[in-house]
Amino acid sequence: MVVKQEAVVGVINKVLLTFCLGFFFVAKAQVKNADSLLTYRKKVLESVEIDFLTSYYDQSGSHAAVTGGIGNEDLQDFSPTIIVRYPLNQDDVLTADIGISAYTSASSSNGNPFNKSGASGGGSSEGSPWVASTGASSEDILTSINFSYAHAAEDRNKYWSVNLGTSFEYDYESIGGGASYTKLWNEKNTELTFKGQIFLDKWKPIIPTEVHEYNLYGSNFQTNVKSYFYEVSVIDKEGISTGNYMPSKFKDFTSVNRNSYSGSISFSQILSKRLQFSVFLDYVIQEGLLSNPLQRVYFKDFENYYIGNKNAIANYTSPDNTSVFHLADDIERLPSQRIKTPLGLRVNYYINEVFVLRSYYRYYIDNWGVRSNTFQFELPIRFNMKWKLTPIYRYYDQTAVDYFAHYDQHNSSSSYYTSDYDLSAFFSNQLGASLTYTDVFSSLKVFDFGLKTVSLRFQNYKRNDGLSAFIISAGLSFVLD
Amino acid sequence: MLWAESILLRILKLKMIKQLFLLLTLLFLVQGCIAVKEYNKIYINDTDMQLASPGMERFETNFQIYRETAAGANGGKTGGGCGCN
Repeated sequence: MVVKQEAVVGVINKVLLTFCLGFFFVAKAQVKNADSLLTYRKKVLESVEIDFLTSYYDQSGSHAAVTGGIGNEDLQDFSPTIIVRYPLNQDDVLTADIGISAYTSASSSNGNPFNKSGASGGGSSEGSPWVASTGASSEDILTSINFSYAHAAEDRNKYWSVNLGTSFEYDYESIGGGASYTKLWNEKNTELTFKGQIFLDKWKPIIPTEVHEYNLYGSNFQTNVKSYFYEVSVIDKEGISTGNYMPSKFKDFTSVNRNSYSGSISFSQILSKRLQFSVFLDYVIQEGLLSNPLQRVYFKDFENYYIGNKNAIANYTSPDNTSVFHLADDIERLPSQRIKTPLGLRVNYYINEVFVLRSYYRYYIDNWGVRSNTFQFELPIRFNMKWKLTPIYRYYDQTAVDYFAHYDQHNSSSSYYTSDYDLSAFFSNQLGASLTYTDVFSSLKVFDFGLKTVSLRFQNYKRNDGLSAFIISAGLSFVLD
Repeated sequence: MLWAESILLRILKLKMIKQLFLLLTLLFLVQGCIAVKEYNKIYINDTDMQLASPGMERFETNFQIYRETAAGANGGKTGGGCGCN
């Protein structure tokens, strides 16, 4: 009996052992499966994306800052850009953003308005703020290169990124970098982002020719044979030739650096299934050479001196003047520190499958006396899965900086002065539209890339001081299959 | 009149700080009350509902930074990196 009992216990033990081992392996396998489920997560970016963007900007106006607040402001700019987003793994994305901005500018060309006519050669000097010259600054190319690296936490509730970039043009170069951190909570209904950015910029100052020659040769700049103005006749407002012109207010730069430090906080919240908003607050400190060295200033308490046709002086501020140029009293001077505080609010509402309302408001304040409001409304209209038209309207206003005065209205006793109308009081209206074609299946292929989106955008901009501009932008987005 | 302006500025600053504090309090109260579930976010996740500026807007923002004094508070450039305002 005992032997029989032992045999039964042995069988039971074997069964138990087998069950336990089976349970252990099944459980282990399940844990392994659970782990593999945990490790699977949607990629932040599914595959390589390439955007080709370009824009053409055209502007006209009659308040050129280079010629002291009057003159031709014609400007054209062409900006091709390429952006490549490369997923390093499920959580990390590397982005390269490379672009150029090639422009021609009538006002910048008038840093030296006498090039075309050859003032230094003793020929007829026919510079005018209303006529573009062939000066060194008449055209330029701005090149910018930026790289950023972004990382997302496994639960997709935390993101951080760093960026580094540089840009350079004929008279300006910049290097900058920054970092941001984003935290989501409340079932991803609430989002908070902190961002810091630093730009270390440097001017390679180009100053107006007459000031440059004075700075180089002192009070003899009209008699020194090496001077650009050697034996060139300078006339007073009566048209009488004189040697009294001296831009003696000009002092050479003590620093050519311009540093910008900014801190930003943004808070986003979903309010309902169709409504969400975001609040942005920036705090920006800029230090260094904050003025533009090429921009002339004229004092009302200084005598006026000209080069060119004396009969055109009476008509100087009219676009009909093509043959006389007012010589600068000084260049723009602005404080070496500026603190900017913009506060923005964006609210988006999903009306239905056809319409979405996007709205934006910004209030801006700085320590130079500027107060500004910006409103923008967009109404994307979806015709079908592929085509979308978005009408866009933007209103903007600003008060003037404390140091602004119109052409020939500054006092020489002031420490700071500018006649740049971009810093004056004005309002503007911008009206435009965007047309977008989206193919979610990227069926049109170019090599291994599928065309995902085609965008075309047009904006017309008008300021109440007479400046008007339009910009056309186009973009192609490709995704690697 | 300078002292009057100074007092006015202080009051305005105080008001702004109070308003900012109220705004932040309101924001944090709002976030505690609302939680739309993931499966209900079909409209919120629509590309046009994104709270960032569309990528193509960068060119407009770029010329606005040159032609206007105010900049920033849109998740993009705040100033610096160009010989602009």
